[in-house]
Amino acid sequence: MKKGTFSRLTLIGIVLTSSSALIILQMLHIQNSTKHQELSQWADEEYSYAIENYTPERGNIYDRWGRLLAGNEDVYEAGVMLEYVTNPETIAQTMEGVNGLTYDQIYDVVKQKYDEEDSIYAVITDFLPSGVIDVLSDVKQTYETENPYGKDKEKPSLRGLIWSSHLKRTYPENSLASNILGFYSFRDRREGLGYYGVEEYYNDLLAGNPMETFMPRNPYMLESLPEVPAGASLVLTIDREIQAMVEKKLDEAIKEDEAVSGTVIVLDPRNGEILAMATQPRINLNQYWKYEDEFKDRVPYNRAISETYEPGSVFKVLTMSAAYDAGVVDDETTFPDTGRYEEHGAVILNWDRKGHGEQTMQGCMQKSLNVCLAWVADKKLGEEKFYEYMQAFGIGRRTSVDLGGEETWPLSVPGDTDWYPVQLLTNSFGQGVAVTPIQLATAISAVANDGKMMKPHVLKAIIQDGKQYNTTPQVLGVPIKAETARTVTAMLVKSLENESSLALVPGYSIAGKTGTAEIPVEGEYSIDLTNASFAGWGPADDPQFLVYVWLEKPKKSPWGSVVAAPLFSDIAKELVVYLDIPPEDAQQNLVAKEG
Amino acid sequence: MAKKSKQAYKQAPWRRQIQSVGISLLPVIALVVVVSIYLIISAQSASAGLEIMDMHYEEEEILRIIANQRTELAWKTSYTEMVKRAEKNGFETAPSESVHFMAIPGYTGQSPVLLAPPPGSENTLGPIVNEYYQQSLWDWVYNTFLTSAQTSEAAQ
Repeated sequence: MKKGTFSRLTLIGIVLTSSSALIILQMLHIQNSTKHQELSQWADEEYSYAIENYTPERGNIYDRWGRLLAGNEDVYEAGVMLEYVTNPETIAQTMEGVNGLTYDQIYDVVKQKYDEEDSIYAVITDFLPSGVIDVLSDVKQTYETENPYGKDKEKPSLRGLIWSSHLKRTYPENSLASNILGFYSFRDRREGLGYYGVEEYYNDLLAGNPMETFMPRNPYMLESLPEVPAGASLVLTIDREIQAMVEKKLDEAIKEDEAVSGTVIVLDPRNGEILAMATQPRINLNQYWKYEDEFKDRVPYNRAISETYEPGSVFKVLTMSAAYDAGVVDDETTFPDTGRYEEHGAVILNWDRKGHGEQTMQGCMQKSLNVCLAWVADKKLGEEKFYEYMQAFGIGRRTSVDLGGEETWPLSVPGDTDWYPVQLLTNSFGQGVAVTPIQLATAISAVANDGKMMKPHVLKAIIQDGKQYNTTPQVLGVPIKAETARTVTAMLVKSLENESSLALVPGYSIAGKTGTAEIPVEGEYSIDLTNASFAGWGPADDPQFLVYVWLEKPKKSPWGSVVAAPLFSDIAKELVVYLDIPPEDAQQNLVAKEG
Repeated sequence: MAKKSKQAYKQAPWRRQIQSVGISLLPVIALVVVVSIYLIISAQSASAGLEIMDMHYEEEEILRIIANQRTELAWKTSYTEMVKRAEKNGFETAPSESVHFMAIPGYTGQSPVLLAPPPGSENTLGPIVNEYYQQSLWDWVYNTFLTSAQTSEAAQ
């Protein structure tokens, strides 16, 4: 009995040991087989990782007070897993009308044949709001309850219909500041790009670093999960309320004055911050693909930075500043205005074709005498100094404003093949020279800011990796001395007051200059077609804003003093409230109290 | 005692067989224990890994929800919406002529916007966990008894 037990035990032991040995041998064989490496590599490639595209959230854009101008919202892509579709008719019927799709369009997508190699998933539509998805989800659930797994093909079923969410660029203010913001082509989910304005200029910062990465399927390897930081957010110098006010006033003025278009720039001359920049046309950025309907015939996206034009008499501010700064004229200098200046084979006339007699420089500016300014540039400054100053004011060069699409027109100077001596005369009063509104506003801001010309910019701060980095204003140059700037400012304050200009703002001292530039038509200037403009700043003793107004081809009146100056005044009256600027008498009271 | 053991093994030789089976099974049992521990730890690691993966997707979803809600709020407080709401509530835009400047002592105007801490500021992402949950038993004994004992001695 005992012997038998021992034999059975021995037998079981041998069988188990042999089986174990065989299993181990087979394992070793598999492990060391020639196919092992190949199979192992194939398994690694096919099943260890999944390739995933990480697109970081595009950075937000805020106005100077943190109000969102461009953000992202959750939308859905709807499609079908072809393998699981049981009733394509129900899907087509249910989704008919969504995003404007017809039954046939949907049916064509859904009825595709499932193919493991080629055709697994098909997109029906994209950018669906969550409300539509909620409805679809309810309907799908109802059908699923009535017809589980879609087994009964006669009953409706939405099996196979799936949706996934992703972020879409959104502009909560629609068209407000559209010329500054530009747009992001969000409908192109793979190759989306920023176009124009801030979206173009700061595209790389906003986009972050999209990456294609291997996502481990092996839960032990998850420590290698990629960290994809979101794109940087931007805080702009733009004030939403001021921007809205300026756009409204500009639209009203364009309509009332029957102008082709218009542009207004509001900036702080002390640091170059652009508070508002309005122009026409504008588009609803949430429908950016309609861009071509609005911007026909090479109309620039943002005239303020992309359209060059002859500015006219506003330019005289620069000529007079140069003459004072060079010391070739002063308050005692007089000019006998006969209404005609003949030099270099050309005749220069005043805007009213009249002579005004003996004039001081103050009178020349107040009456905006072309003849006087031509004389100052030609006989007092001379071509060398005149163009040196104009270059110092940045004429002919881009301002490097941080917006996509800035243009410039080269300044012809003595020695250039396209420069003729007569241009010195015409350039002195802003004809024969082309600038963009931002160039001229920047140049004139030097006069408002004690001779220091600040770089115009819209970026106030960058928010990256959880920190806010504020930008530092940059000086573009110092074309004139502080003393000159103050003298010219005082001269322009007096000019407006003496003229009882429509640009005046009750309670505040304003410096400014009108401009009416004739537009060349078929080689000849026409007084019927003008660029009417006004550049003004205030309060004159401590300028906190500079407003540049340009109305293109106004029909109501061609004169800047009639159409552009009142628009400046309307805007400035509101600005002093928005910017908390005390009127002169209140300012004096405050100073007295502090004293 | 040794004599008694020898006697016992002589009378029942199967005891010796059980002893040898026991000894030979010992490494097997040890191996099973090690493998079990390994399996338990592996299972826990896998579970933690899967949890990380879930949390990763959850984080993505939460970030999307935050972005969406931020934008939704912006839609509701957009310029045109605010104007509509103000008009509905009977407010009107004051004409500039009727606006009077009034100096308010101490009011310095609107502060510049700060949407994130400036660079150089520390501890912005530090753990917000009560220190009681972070100290070791030794720290607790030291802080509670030894430090208080030292303090009372010094006071005397």
